[in-house]
Amino acid sequence: MTDLIEMRNITKSFPGVVALEDVSFSCRAGEVHAVVGENGAGKSTLMKVLAGVYQPDSGQILIDGQPVHMASPHAAQGLGISIIYQELNLLADMNLAQNVFLGREPHSRLGLTDDKELEVRARDILRRLGIDLDPRTRLGRLSVAQQQMVEIAKALSLNARVVIMDEPSAALGGRDLDYLFDVIRALKEQGVGVIYISHRIAEVFTVADRVTVFKDAKVVGTHSVSQIDRGTLVRLMIGKTFSETFPPRGAEAGPEVLRVEKLSVNTELRDVNLVVRGGEIVGIAGLVGAGRTKLAHAIFGTCKLDHGLIHINGMPSRISSPRHALRHRMGFLTEDRNAEGLVLGQTVLHNAALPSLGNRQRWGVVNRKVERDVINQTTSGLRLRAPSLAAEVENLSGGNRQKVVLAKWLISQPELLIFDEPTRGIDVGAKGDIWQLMRDLANEGKAILMISSELPEIIGMSDRIYVMHSGTIVGERRGAEANEEDVMMLATYGQDHGH
Amino acid sequence: MATEIIRARPPASRFQRLWDEQRDVIIIYGLLLTMVLLAAIFLPDFRLGRNLSNVLRQSVALGIVSIGQTVGILIGGIDLSVGATISLVNVYATGFMANYTTPVQVAGMVVALLALGLVIGAVNATVITRLQVAPFIATMGIGAILQGMVLLYAKKPGGSIAPGWDFFAFGMVGPVPFPVIFTAVLVGITWLALTRTVWGRHVKATGGSELIARLSGVETRRVMTYAYMFCSFMAAMTGLYLASRMGAGDPGVGGLNYDRFDLDSIAAVLIGGTRLGGGKGSVIGTIAGVLIVSVLNNIFNLVGVNPYIQWIIKGLILLGAVAIYSARSSSRS
Repeated sequence: MTDLIEMRNITKSFPGVVALEDVSFSCRAGEVHAVVGENGAGKSTLMKVLAGVYQPDSGQILIDGQPVHMASPHAAQGLGISIIYQELNLLADMNLAQNVFLGREPHSRLGLTDDKELEVRARDILRRLGIDLDPRTRLGRLSVAQQQMVEIAKALSLNARVVIMDEPSAALGGRDLDYLFDVIRALKEQGVGVIYISHRIAEVFTVADRVTVFKDAKVVGTHSVSQIDRGTLVRLMIGKTFSETFPPRGAEAGPEVLRVEKLSVNTELRDVNLVVRGGEIVGIAGLVGAGRTKLAHAIFGTCKLDHGLIHINGMPSRISSPRHALRHRMGFLTEDRNAEGLVLGQTVLHNAALPSLGNRQRWGVVNRKVERDVINQTTSGLRLRAPSLAAEVENLSGGNRQKVVLAKWLISQPELLIFDEPTRGIDVGAKGDIWQLMRDLANEGKAILMISSELPEIIGMSDRIYVMHSGTIVGERRGAEANEEDVMMLATYGQDHGH
Repeated sequence: MATEIIRARPPASRFQRLWDEQRDVIIIYGLLLTMVLLAAIFLPDFRLGRNLSNVLRQSVALGIVSIGQTVGILIGGIDLSVGATISLVNVYATGFMANYTTPVQVAGMVVALLALGLVIGAVNATVITRLQVAPFIATMGIGAILQGMVLLYAKKPGGSIAPGWDFFAFGMVGPVPFPVIFTAVLVGITWLALTRTVWGRHVKATGGSELIARLSGVETRRVMTYAYMFCSFMAAMTGLYLASRMGAGDPGVGGLNYDRFDLDSIAAVLIGGTRLGGGKGSVIGTIAGVLIVSVLNNIFNLVGVNPYIQWIIKGLILLGAVAIYSARSSSRS
């Protein structure tokens, strides 16, 4: 087989970060090429270069051996490259066929749409993919898996020769996944090249022909799936260095700080039980959609519980709002710190001061001197690199932003801190800083609950690990004894011995 | 190859699909019908033929401007300049017809003033799409400029209309008032444009998500421009109609008097089930919203409710309707 597309020596950097370093990659017609690696390893950046979203600093892209220039997503589409993002680009209030042909509706000369023709064409594409859906179904009625099929149908209707799927399985499980694989095989039969980004290793062996491993902005290697085994692939992904970068684990855990009993929320969480003690970092592993973030929100009082009890320091507590949670000395560092953790246009000082303002006011007037002192004191321990407290948060790097969020909670002297994806979007170098801070806090006796999608982080940081699968906790491991493959299996299949 | 997950549900019947897609419209007509029935039972004056035809006639002005507003909201925006546009066209038309009354002159004036409506819409759209000003502020600013132009031209009611121009508001075609037929035709055309043309589909797509529409190759700026032009065009039409109904011009007719056509049209559109923020809604629903507002006004007048209390009740109904819709859509998702 010849290469349908080839990317040669691509380098791309963003201010302060090299996202891709001399990366070469190719995909053949009728091939499924899996791309694996940790978050931030460069997978998505490479795909965005291929889809014309980013322009590479150097390097070349060839289609059918001819060099091409991807000036824009539109140009890439014209060259037969379609990308399906994790957040699906579909309109809930339109029907399936209308979504597939949005912007390219068959119409008469007067601009009247030809809905018959639209339906016929949609049916034809669905048939080619082996999808049995009514093209007149309103999109909002379809499941996430089905909506993904609509995106694939849309790509095919654009005569895509290469379809890039960015973590298509993230929100899927069980049979939906099998179904996705069926459709991917149908694409293969049509001679379409599929680039499949995932961090689930099991899937690579189910669906892919070749696999390329990314690590720290470089390609570690490209292998034929038939010539590599699971263990080797995991080793390639993790590399050898990771255990050294995590701070050493602490001593014995102290008294129990948080106990959650039989907590249920809607259909999203079922009978969750867990304990976090002072001085301990407890990791929560699981795939996206397993309910990890929902659990954090439930504990912090931002969503309503259907059942369950939360004990703080052994006392049953009703936490129905973040304000209550604060009063119970909790802090929550959310997953999306830019949207939920910080007011980007405001200064370090104002951000850090926000949750504890009430402690430094008199008749509603903030004592600014006390405030400045308190925040200076807190941030100095965090090795925050900002020009001054008056610097606007939006000008700080990801790692320093996270430190501002941390300062914001530390001022209220919390006993329990919840970190949701603490190092997402943070440079490799700065991650070590955050990890060290988390361990220092645990050593001071604080209880830490950490959600992370990055298995090395979960395993390297946690004293204990809970694994979640479809809304409930399916297993517990000691951090020092856990291994990545075991946790991954548990998170994927929800039981100890999947296939 | 297909597993059973894909087979979703058994194919929906016609009625199921109709209910699924048009639930809001069906509910709002149910509400309208209930209101009319209750009024007919308890208020003898209400069911008089003369009164009913009056209700229809009174809903014409709000109806025409709300048809336009539907498109403005459906595209994901809002148009607060319609009130001033109505006033501007109204005073220009009556000022012109005070001096020129031949059919040719009047026809020329109609074309010119409707074109003025299109220009106002194009200006709104330019400020929104090129200068990136939020539609709320953009149309409020343009509205203020237009209202200033109105008051420069006419500070108090005046002007007159050409003979025959009163047919627009008072003519009868058999037993039906001409303006009611006229409005029905506008509704029909707009309904076709929104449901059967590429432009209509793109309006809803752009309102649903401008980004998604743009990524799908929709020329969202052009679609938006035509949407705002349509909206202002309907406002200009309303100004011409009001000239006919009042027989004179009034600089406050669109937005400064008791009838606030900017706010009332938004209320009618939202009560009619169009989603604030765009992407979902229909002109058929809007008409129900208009009729609900008119029937309510009529009932208030028949019963003799204090006008200020009427405002309070209308405000509560608007808030209630929108709150119900948004609660429903967030629980469904």
